[in-house]
Amino acid sequence: MRRKKIPTWFVLIFPALVILAAVVLVPLLFSLYSSFTPYKLTRPDTLFKWIGTFNYQKAINSAVFWAAFGRTVLLLTIALNLEMLLGLGLALLVSRVTRGQRALRTLMMFPMMFSPILVGFQFKFIFNDNVGLVNNALQSLGLTNEAIPWLVDKNLAMFSIIFAEMWSSTSVFAILILAGLFAIPQDPLEAAKVDGCTPWQTFRHITLPFLMPFIYIALAIRSLDVARAYDIVQIMTNGGPARRTELLWTLIGRTGYVDAKMGYANAMGYISIVMAIFFTIFFFRKLNAARSELGMAG
Amino acid sequence: MYKSAIRSLLSATALLAIGVASPAIAGEYDGVTIDAKLIGGQQYEALYGRIAEWEAATGATVNIISKKNHFELDKEFKSDIAAGTTNWCVGSNHSSFAPQYPTLYTDLSAYVDADEIAGFVPAMIASSTIGGRLVMLPRAQFDVSVLYYQKSLFEDEANKTAFAAEYGYDLVPPLTLDQFRDQAIFFADPPNFYGTQYAGKDEGASGRFYEMVVANGGQMFNDDWTPAFNSDAGKEALQWFLDLYEAGAVPPGTTSYLWDELGAGFASGTIAINLDWPGWSGYFNDPESSKAAGNVGITVQPMGSAGIHTGWSGFHGFSVTENCANKDAAASLVSFLTSEASQIAESSGGSLPTRTAVWDVVVANAEGDEYRTMALNAFQEGATYAFAVPQTEYWIEASNLIFPEIQAAILGDKTVDEALQAASDAVDEMMRENGVY
Repeated sequence: MRRKKIPTWFVLIFPALVILAAVVLVPLLFSLYSSFTPYKLTRPDTLFKWIGTFNYQKAINSAVFWAAFGRTVLLLTIALNLEMLLGLGLALLVSRVTRGQRALRTLMMFPMMFSPILVGFQFKFIFNDNVGLVNNALQSLGLTNEAIPWLVDKNLAMFSIIFAEMWSSTSVFAILILAGLFAIPQDPLEAAKVDGCTPWQTFRHITLPFLMPFIYIALAIRSLDVARAYDIVQIMTNGGPARRTELLWTLIGRTGYVDAKMGYANAMGYISIVMAIFFTIFFFRKLNAARSELGMAG
Repeated sequence: MYKSAIRSLLSATALLAIGVASPAIAGEYDGVTIDAKLIGGQQYEALYGRIAEWEAATGATVNIISKKNHFELDKEFKSDIAAGTTNWCVGSNHSSFAPQYPTLYTDLSAYVDADEIAGFVPAMIASSTIGGRLVMLPRAQFDVSVLYYQKSLFEDEANKTAFAAEYGYDLVPPLTLDQFRDQAIFFADPPNFYGTQYAGKDEGASGRFYEMVVANGGQMFNDDWTPAFNSDAGKEALQWFLDLYEAGAVPPGTTSYLWDELGAGFASGTIAINLDWPGWSGYFNDPESSKAAGNVGITVQPMGSAGIHTGWSGFHGFSVTENCANKDAAASLVSFLTSEASQIAESSGGSLPTRTAVWDVVVANAEGDEYRTMALNAFQEGATYAFAVPQTEYWIEASNLIFPEIQAAILGDKTVDEALQAASDAVDEMMRENGVY
């Protein structure tokens, strides 16, 4: 009897499949299963009690969850758009620099080298109402005589977090867009100049369409990043005060690890993952559309 | 000089006597390795330096596999319970966290002599006994908040006259929470100087609220664990926080402050009166770290409207896991780390002991040091009013539901009534879901 030969392609990808199954698939299935149980970390026996969609229903009916969800979408929208605009501006400016551009590019990447936890501590101090840098500067300059509660006020707290996020990640956009700027062929730009296009017309109808694939890639990467924003917020405000800066992952983190309610936390996590998948699909569709426009599809 | 030499000699003699009386027998646990997960931090290291003595006396080895703060340890313990990896032996514990781990730790009364247990302050043994099981032995890290204040403010004649004219009673460090509020508002001059400050988030906020509810004659939970804080006492407590905030007597960022920010605040010299822990006493009076140094007064914490002093307290301890392979050796280590000798050594750094006999040594050592004596008198009296967190494994979970509502009331997002109703409903739902009732 001839032994059936295992296909070579399967042999080659088998180790990768095993590793992926061990580190991604199994934990994913386990957490999905636990979201249908009242699993509490301190009571391992609760893992074997099936409660159906109770956790999902609880999350869907929870005003706290939806408020955190709404805040996360708000953060995502504002931070991504501002980072994109600033990154674009920064990239356009740097692309015009003829001397020391390499040094500028390195400098631009500095904030990306900081751990988000450090960024959180840094801005927590900068925005501290009593001993913080911003208030001291404003008071010394005579611009205000009050201690502005940056991390407490309803709007300012969210602004402070968005500011910290932007500081640390605008350069992601700038670097990717800069790469796009370098990749633009010079012929259409020169043709536009010959045809008498204004700089704005050139930017709007030639440069920007060429940059769109790069912008969408940056948006997709950063949307996943921001949608799971945790470290900076955890350090700066821990979702407070009065849940004013509570985002999905600070809520889920506290529910899972501090309250030890991992089943409920996982249910909220899965709802949030659906949101992340939605954003990814949205941006990739846009990316493909932009590539088609440039004849780069397929 | 002479007095101090006598004192040192006395302490050394006491240490020697206790060392000789140590129950460990040489070589008793030869070859045994005890894995330990301990709280880390500069103030705790001195005690760990003594572990080598226990190793030499018993032949065992201590392997410290984790050293983190209690919030991080808490997460690690929960993950260990979930993963079933609880065969390490000794863990740092805390009275606020202990009720959460009903299955993790063993009953130490089976491994430690009753006489030895009797040497601890009884209230602390009571707080360490959960569900009838002695789950930890307290170390010399006892915490109850007392009142720190800037002496010069109370000695200033202009302040005295102005205060008496405005409030109709003499300006002395506050005896009641109402006086505390009056004085904090009187001293406040924002944004440069504030009357007081308070922990505004996490268990810090719920804990402060809890002790004020008790001081006003209320309680957090009824006997069947239904929430009881949505009461007159609770409303009075929450109104106190709100009044101070609205009057600008506290820094506007106080709802984002926890212990480090509060300690730094009083040390910056911009806070008049401050309810805080004993561990800060040295720091506040050290010119290297505090602008208030030399001007710090310490007195017993104030009373609420029911004539009861605030006294939310906590203490650190050590526990032995149920799955430890050698519980005798682990219990011996815990006994050693909480022994009189260890507590004398640890409290020399300024922390408070949890053994009755060690209090006497600490007080004797402070003789001649006016500041330390004042501090110890306040701590000793403060300790008599101490009470632990409610003994339910759901305290931290309840606290996480309560503090955002406290913040919402302070910041004006909700009225006091709305906030307490929302907190009470949330805690009630949580208790029901957990099958408490």
